Amino acid sequence: MPVVDVQPDELRRLTGHEDKSDEEFKDDLFALGLEFEGVTDDGAFQLEFGPDRLDRLSVEGVARSLRYQYGDARGVSVPNTNDPDWTFVVDDDVPDERPYVTGAVVRGIDLDDAALDSLIQLQEKLHATMGRKRAKGAIGIHDLTMLKGDVLSENASGNSITYTGIEPDGDTFVALDSNDELTPAEVLEQHDTGRKYADLVSEYDRYPAIYDEIGLFSFPPVINGRRTEVSTDSRDLLVELTGTDQWTIDRMCNIICYALAARGATIEDVEVQYEEGTVVKPDFEVETKHVSHDRIETVLGVELELDEVIDLFERSGLDADAELGDETVYEVSIPPYRVDVLHPLDLVDDVGRAYGFNELEPRYPDVGTVGQRHERSRLEDAVRTSLVGLGFEDLLNFHMISEGENYERMDVEVGSDSLGGGEPASITEPYSEDYTMLRTWVLPSLTMVLENNTHRAYPQDLAEIGHVAHRDDDENTRVAESRHVAAVLARHDATYEDAKARLAALCRDFDAELETPATEHPSFIDGRTAAVVIDGEEVGVVGELHPKVIVDHDLELPVAAFEFDLSALA
Amino acid sequence: MRLPESQVAVLNAASATDERTIAQLAEATDQKPETVTGAVFDLRDEGLVSVTETTEESVELTDEGAEYAEDGLPEVRLYRAALDVGDGDAVPMGQVIGASSLGGPQVDIALSNFARKGYGHIDSGELAPDADADPDADEEAAALAALESGESVDADVLDQLESRNLVVRHERTIRAVTLTDEGVTALMEGVEAAETVDRLTPEMLTSGEWEDVEFTEYNVEADAPEARGGKKHILRQTADRVKDVLTGMGFAEMEGPHADADFWINDCLFMPQDHPARTHWDRFALDVPPMEDIPEDLIDNVRDAHLNGVGEDGDGYHSPWSEDFARAIALRGHTTSLSMRYLSGHEVGELEPPQRYFSVEKVYRNDTLDPTHLLEFYQIEGWVMAEDLSVRDLMGTFEEFYSHFGITDIQFKPHYNPYTEPSFELFGRHPETGELIEIGNSGMFREEVLRPLGVECDVMAWGLALERLLMLMYGFDDIRDVHGTLCDLDLLRETEVLK
Repeated sequence: MPVVDVQPDELRRLTGHEDKSDEEFKDDLFALGLEFEGVTDDGAFQLEFGPDRLDRLSVEGVARSLRYQYGDARGVSVPNTNDPDWTFVVDDDVPDERPYVTGAVVRGIDLDDAALDSLIQLQEKLHATMGRKRAKGAIGIHDLTMLKGDVLSENASGNSITYTGIEPDGDTFVALDSNDELTPAEVLEQHDTGRKYADLVSEYDRYPAIYDEIGLFSFPPVINGRRTEVSTDSRDLLVELTGTDQWTIDRMCNIICYALAARGATIEDVEVQYEEGTVVKPDFEVETKHVSHDRIETVLGVELELDEVIDLFERSGLDADAELGDETVYEVSIPPYRVDVLHPLDLVDDVGRAYGFNELEPRYPDVGTVGQRHERSRLEDAVRTSLVGLGFEDLLNFHMISEGENYERMDVEVGSDSLGGGEPASITEPYSEDYTMLRTWVLPSLTMVLENNTHRAYPQDLAEIGHVAHRDDDENTRVAESRHVAAVLARHDATYEDAKARLAALCRDFDAELETPATEHPSFIDGRTAAVVIDGEEVGVVGELHPKVIVDHDLELPVAAFEFDLSALA
Repeated sequence: MRLPESQVAVLNAASATDERTIAQLAEATDQKPETVTGAVFDLRDEGLVSVTETTEESVELTDEGAEYAEDGLPEVRLYRAALDVGDGDAVPMGQVIGASSLGGPQVDIALSNFARKGYGHIDSGELAPDADADPDADEEAAALAALESGESVDADVLDQLESRNLVVRHERTIRAVTLTDEGVTALMEGVEAAETVDRLTPEMLTSGEWEDVEFTEYNVEADAPEARGGKKHILRQTADRVKDVLTGMGFAEMEGPHADADFWINDCLFMPQDHPARTHWDRFALDVPPMEDIPEDLIDNVRDAHLNGVGEDGDGYHSPWSEDFARAIALRGHTTSLSMRYLSGHEVGELEPPQRYFSVEKVYRNDTLDPTHLLEFYQIEGWVMAEDLSVRDLMGTFEEFYSHFGITDIQFKPHYNPYTEPSFELFGRHPETGELIEIGNSGMFREEVLRPLGVECDVMAWGLALERLLMLMYGFDDIRDVHGTLCDLDLLRETEVLK
């Protein structure tokens, strides 16, 4: 979940509640769903919240939400914008993979250190979330005074920059945090930030590039040029975003513009000149959705007055017009910084939050249903009870294991007919070399428990009923899953008979007929191994573990064991 | 009077006039001293004998003392060696030590006692023996010899030997027994031995012999050898409790595959395909071909929900949606895949409201393994399907569930999940510590989840890790001690069962 660092003093200033204590803020923020996680070295609150309200990824957005909560602000507010002076020309050479651009010009911003930190944080947090680590959307913010616009051709006035694509070594520029003139390809190899984001563009034929009249000044989504770096002296900014989806970068842009406007900046439109036509950005269009009064009441489980609902909408930063009829429906206006409203129910959630969910009285739903266990889990439970009655310690091991443990250390060959020899259902990119596949049988796990508990008292009689799986392309899931019953008896005098006696007792409990014809299994001693045949079907193996398996697991006493398919006892 | 045989023997061997020690009685009765001691105490408790206790000291040579008794004290050996080498004159120390064949710590012992006892002087690395000294008159040497032959020695010399760790003193209690008047009377009236037995045998029961025997008394307070039975795993016990509570609340159990298509695991849940939780490092993709058999109409519905949303005013995600990704097979990251299968009508047929379903089953998360996080753990998942469910119904259901685990004061923190709206993180008061703790995640399934599955009513759902419930209730610090092959058998054996 996103975490945002917020200076409480900034919060006091931006909300206009200079007298609020830190503790009061923490409570108010918790009510908004922002959880206090601690403070940073320089005293900022670390607030964690769900990744829906990405407009709260900066102190400006958090302050805005608090102002609605306090009733200092109501309804939808959209910043005024000035007419465009700048044009983003989208060139034919723009990489096909990253065709979209948006942006704004921001004038008259007073960037002190706190404001600049906040802007940088917002940019980073938006990259991490909506921007999908810059793959979907990347933001560049530039000092406008360092840009020299191309004069647009013909009669047009104003300035322009060009979003285009260039050969990886097609030009050079000095990137942020660098002193060297590098080509984009060299940035990806030599610059720390370049290396970090190289994967995003390395497959592209042409690299994204933004030019003004002076030359290349931005290499999205990787890094900006040093020439246009923003500092606390910057007064006017140019914001550009590129990405794979227009809606996504437009909303990211809106969140930035709202944050800067909250600090007194003026937003100025820009024109984006695509081949198929020109659009004006930022896109501050207010969208509407419809939700019925009835739906709000059923979801919250309370009766509400019409005025009350409209008030709750406005306190959420929305506007609502009631359309009276057979059914009262609200047309709800949604401000352009919201990225989380996909469905009218999302608006009901806002009403609920404004109302206070914890104000609602819980009630047990008055619907009758019949409870029951699944057949499989009932059987498993009954077998487990019998095993425990026979003196086994019931164990619970991981379903994931390594090939070494599952096959090699048990001396079983992959793809063999022996119990446990099934093909592995392997994990494509294992996190740890200890867990690379689903276990095909349970005895490797039990033997590992014996191995890890040689310092504990014997006898160690252990049993597990557990999930096993192997690859089987005939299954719809490509994996055949089942449950096995497995047991080990580790004691100084353990023999085949000890295992068989308990296996027979278990079968008696389930009125299952057990036969144990001699067989061979690489994990067991030849001549002391039998197939477990239950009701005429071969379902497992019983015997004395082979000394090489025992010794390989650092055990110093005999182990008798059995394992078979649980469904045989059904 | 009937008494156990050992007591009768002691009573007969004891005298009213002469004190007899335990050792004497043991010899006289041909019984082990500890048997006699036991009998004596029993007789004393009966008032038949009196017992006086005295302390006797014995002295024993230590290994070092025995060695010196044999070879001579180191200082004496040093003195004699000095005389041999220097013929009465001062000689270099190294030379004397060599000649004395003393080694190791004995050298220091010899040198310090040499001077103390006036065998000579040590100066500037030379050793000057005093010709007048008489090693044959060495009191300590004489005492060692005396002790070895069992004679007693002077107390001061004994203290000196003890300080040199050449002897140890032992104290021993000597119990002397005399018959009391009651004892004499009892003997005169006649005392018979009752037969005592250690074990009750089948023969005794069938022959009736048990009627004539006395059973030897056991020390019933002594520790018995450890007995150990099997026990259900504590996490299973916890799961069973959860299942009991939920079936009691009208929930039926779900069952389904651990390896499943991402379609069922995530796409049906309206998780956007570029959601961070769906990236390769968070899920366990399996190296197998994709799933072929997924109902086509369902795929179309789900794709449409992702791209265009649900309902007139609905919006989709502004992310691409790939059917290939949806068909790829992975280990399920939550058991909500089962809920999707059941809700779709493809598991147990079309479901009509009302319904309640649950599962307590394994899920797999590619997370960091630490004391509170495992790569695989049990998820408690439950949902209720009914017409017009409200947030209040959800709250009432959870208050009921958690109250069975002693967790009260449930609070609902508004939260965000891609698949539920409204969504709540659940907090509750810990039964022991009183702390407010996170106990689950819940919400009403979104229409984008339900409508593509063909569900037209409301469904509320919640999830919680079983391990978390276990740790909250039993205070385990490290879940790896309990779950997995690194488990500690002693911990499992000694864990209190769930009542």
